[in-house]
Amino acid sequence: MNYKRILNFAITKPLVIYCIVLLITLLSLAMLPKIVIDTDPENMLSQEAPARIFHNQIKTDFLMRDMIVVGLVSNNTMFNPNTLQIVEQLTDDILKIEGVIASDLLSLTVVDNIRQLTNEQGISQGIQFEYLMKQAPTTIKASEKIQQAVKRLPMLNNTLVSGDDKAIAIYVPIIAKDQSYVIAERIRALATNTSADTQNDLTFHITGLPVAEDQFGYEMFVQMGVAAPLAGLAIFLLLWFFFRNIALIIAPMIVAMATVLIIMGSLIGFGFTVHIMSSMIAIFLMPIAVVDSVHILSEFADRFKAGDDASKTIKKVMGHLYKPMLFTSITSAVGFYSLMLTPIPPVKVFGAFIGSGILLAFVLTITFIPAYIARMKPETLAKLQRAVQLMEKKGRLASSLEKLGAFSVKRTKLILITFIAFFVLSLVGVNRIIINDNPVNWFKADHEIRIADKVLNEHFAGTYDAWLVFSNNNLQQQSALENFNSILDTANNGATKTAILQAHQQWLKREKNQKNSFFTPDLLMLLDDFSFTANVEEQAWLEQLYNISEQANNSQKIFTDSAMLNWLADLQSALVNNGDVGKVNSLTDIISTVNRELNSGEDKDFEIPSSSNGVAQTLLQFQSSHRPQDLWHFVSPDFQRTLLWLQMTSGDNQHMAKVVNWVDTYISENPPPLNVQHQWAGKSYLNVVWQDAMVSGMIDSLLSSFVIVFIMMMLLFRSVKYGILAMLPLTFTITMIYGLVGWFGKAYDMPIAVLSALTLGLSIDFAIHFIQRVRELEAEKQSLRVALSAMFQEPSRAIARNAIVIAIGFTPLLLSPLMPYITVGFFLASIMILSALVTLVLLPALLTLTTMRQAS
Amino acid sequence: MSIKLSYKMIKAIKHSHSLWLTLSLFLACQSHLHAEESTISAIKTTPINITNKTENLAVKNIIDRANLASYYAGEDGSAEARMIIVDENGNRQMRQFTILRKDVQDLGDQTMLVFFSKPSNVKDTVFRVEKQLQSDDNRWLFLPALDLVKRISAGDKRTSFVGSHFYYEDVSGRNPNEDNFSLDSEDGSTYTITASPKDPQSVEFNHYVVTIDKQNSLPIETTYYDHNDRAIRKMTVLQVQEIDGIATVVKSRITNLNNNSYTEMQFRNVKYNLGLPDSIFSERSMRTPPKAWLD
Repeated sequence: MNYKRILNFAITKPLVIYCIVLLITLLSLAMLPKIVIDTDPENMLSQEAPARIFHNQIKTDFLMRDMIVVGLVSNNTMFNPNTLQIVEQLTDDILKIEGVIASDLLSLTVVDNIRQLTNEQGISQGIQFEYLMKQAPTTIKASEKIQQAVKRLPMLNNTLVSGDDKAIAIYVPIIAKDQSYVIAERIRALATNTSADTQNDLTFHITGLPVAEDQFGYEMFVQMGVAAPLAGLAIFLLLWFFFRNIALIIAPMIVAMATVLIIMGSLIGFGFTVHIMSSMIAIFLMPIAVVDSVHILSEFADRFKAGDDASKTIKKVMGHLYKPMLFTSITSAVGFYSLMLTPIPPVKVFGAFIGSGILLAFVLTITFIPAYIARMKPETLAKLQRAVQLMEKKGRLASSLEKLGAFSVKRTKLILITFIAFFVLSLVGVNRIIINDNPVNWFKADHEIRIADKVLNEHFAGTYDAWLVFSNNNLQQQSALENFNSILDTANNGATKTAILQAHQQWLKREKNQKNSFFTPDLLMLLDDFSFTANVEEQAWLEQLYNISEQANNSQKIFTDSAMLNWLADLQSALVNNGDVGKVNSLTDIISTVNRELNSGEDKDFEIPSSSNGVAQTLLQFQSSHRPQDLWHFVSPDFQRTLLWLQMTSGDNQHMAKVVNWVDTYISENPPPLNVQHQWAGKSYLNVVWQDAMVSGMIDSLLSSFVIVFIMMMLLFRSVKYGILAMLPLTFTITMIYGLVGWFGKAYDMPIAVLSALTLGLSIDFAIHFIQRVRELEAEKQSLRVALSAMFQEPSRAIARNAIVIAIGFTPLLLSPLMPYITVGFFLASIMILSALVTLVLLPALLTLTTMRQAS
Repeated sequence: MSIKLSYKMIKAIKHSHSLWLTLSLFLACQSHLHAEESTISAIKTTPINITNKTENLAVKNIIDRANLASYYAGEDGSAEARMIIVDENGNRQMRQFTILRKDVQDLGDQTMLVFFSKPSNVKDTVFRVEKQLQSDDNRWLFLPALDLVKRISAGDKRTSFVGSHFYYEDVSGRNPNEDNFSLDSEDGSTYTITASPKDPQSVEFNHYVVTIDKQNSLPIETTYYDHNDRAIRKMTVLQVQEIDGIATVVKSRITNLNNNSYTEMQFRNVKYNLGLPDSIFSERSMRTPPKAWLD
């Protein structure tokens, strides 16, 4: 066997092994400074994911920005000179911050009011566009005027000012998401200054997904610097507790450190970003990496007698452990590699690098540890042996395990019934699982972002955005194109005709699917330009061409159509009445508001003009404001697409999914008057998409790794029966863990999802070691009974010890300020303890039962 | 260095108007006058010596001449305007309109009509303006699809003109009395002047720098700066044509330097001194355009 040669080499040339490990580790260490943190939940979808491409297209086309939401909240009305002055000052200061897109900032001081002026006799003096609050008012009366004005502006009401008038928001658009933490910090500093010199009960909040994401990245970085070393420390202390020998336990620590550094170094070196998932790699690998070493050390300490040749003993130990260690490593790796079947890039990277890390740890363990032990001084080895014996003689662990073993063998039926009962109960729990995630909930409930999120969403219509985009599905330009071409055919030849033909040819080439219209404003401008250079003969047909094109272009502008707009307005109010959406901002509000002020100024005129030209002319007035560009957030300049901005009070994927379903149903029950299609964009929607992908991806990943591990087990044990037995503990553990998740009402989110693979990879280890040893002992002692009772001596202690090492190794995660880490830490510790218990209870009971049946 | 201004020169300036700024006049909303009578007479009678002492007066004169060149051309005029609005994504939109203007009194009140022709869904939308020096301008709007004539109330002039990058004030001209000017530099062909608003709260910029062509007194480039001294907005004259002996800006552009979106304004078919009758500048013309003068 090849490993023997490797082992001989390692024992005889330990320095070579040391040098190789050191060199690779140093090389990886050099990569670490190149780290790039990625906290964008968008990256849960690959760059090519259609939903993501569409989302970004919409973001560009409609100039939708990443927004930081700043909220000022009071117990009383905000409409007094003092508070409004603070709003003004804060807005002015925020506008000066580098990285803020000033023209798109939304605050009372920069938005427009459109109103109708009347004189004392109540006679209209015309309409007026003016800044809503160019300067903060100095009187209560003037403040209340602003309050009343906001109530009449549906675009601002409940977005910039809360319905109860106790909160005012500033929406701060930023040029890049990765600047949001820095900008948010600067705004916080500004807020501290402003609130310092005010006596009232004003509180300040800051939220918005970009802030949450960026803040999360910052804390994740801190987390990695704290939790990973803590996990290392916990494992070190635990090993010291088990082996009481610093020199000896340095070896597994070196294996763990080298594994973590090489894996993280290569992850960064290969150019992968460190995402929330990959930031946990270090913490995952550390305990897993020492597990094999613990087996080796345990058995070595067991076999080594004073005066023995350490090299010979270690060779024996390694020959004995090599196969189960290889298999446990491969099965664990398979569990993690199976994550690569999910369609979520960060989870793929996570799976790939942990899988490889496990294999690397195995390689390091089987080379470095023997090399290290072979070089140890005899007196150190003697000390080790004493310590181990001391520990193994007595102790609660040993006696509890013996009792447990006796129980498992005697109470087989009770155990089986209990397990089946638990299994059924767990299945019920699994069915109760709620699939949900919300990046803001990645923070603990008392985190300032969670508090801001809660407070602002209590007051406003919602700080979570989704965009519902309708687009023209029917360009209806065929007859116009035919007309255009037939006129062009009969036109006299010349430079003008050639140029127009060329434009048409280019369009045909570019637009094979005719997705974009030929009749664009650019074409109209081209034709218009020609009309100035053309000769008299050309003028006639040029005008005809222009008219056809103009008409075709005009008829494509479906979002000036009154029936279409009224349908949208109905959808909007139905959405809000349904209760899941706080508010919808859209084109129809803009049109109706301007129309109202153009006419009587009374509510009865808050409606869409009856003709498409009426709509266009109303919008021309809207564009005569300070912020004409605001229009293009809601409709594309060609009026073939419109965007409804939905404000929701929670970022729960579940909430978003409900709205998506509701809209689908509404549209199928109330078909739109024109042929339009609807699509979703916005962060809340993207979260739903990747979550769906994750759930189905996880099922694939779990099933495939289950099958692979099952086949491997049958190959390893060369027995279907033992193959099935080996799969049972993990089957129970996974079902029970997810049953627990269901019963506790904990939402199935990303960290919970990856746990299945971890459980599969880790709990199979115990089963392998258990079955392997039982079979060896059974062959040796010729009795399953004797073998089982022997099992509850050293072998069961090794299993229990390993479970404890890993469980405790993950506990530093519980100290994290970030929820996903806490979740993973808690569940992993539970999984380790549970699967060790299941292995030690269920397997002996089943083995006893099956043997009894065979005997009878 | 000295600049002598005689009455003859004034006459010459009066005729070297630029049409793009003439358009402004049509759209002027309020009585922001750029060259008031008194100033004019001062220019007419006083030779100007630019020395340290009189520098302020000299700069004022350059500005006044620029405004003269920009805002008063002929007794009346008409022009076809085309605006191409280009957003930061490169989407282009077009607006076309015809302007009729008549001076009630030279360098005094004016009256004008703006008839939209394209795109067709805003065709026949009309603006009517009575520019008054002594009080607020009167402005009306006719929206044919709503069959509605509406008065536009006097208000802030730094609002967009029908969605373009041009503000009303860009086209009507900013009242020189609202700014303090200082001459930064001059070379053989241009003056460079910095203007700072007297009331910083009333505008979105901190100051602007304008380059004025010495020969025709037309401002050929104006750049607006924000409070961090960053250029945010720029007006550039792209083409000047001699029409009926009057230097006329026929192509200019305003760019939003934050995102490089811009609007280009082109004038075609510019005519001066048509003899437009007073009667067409009425509410009736809004509903029934005076076709004879629009072709």
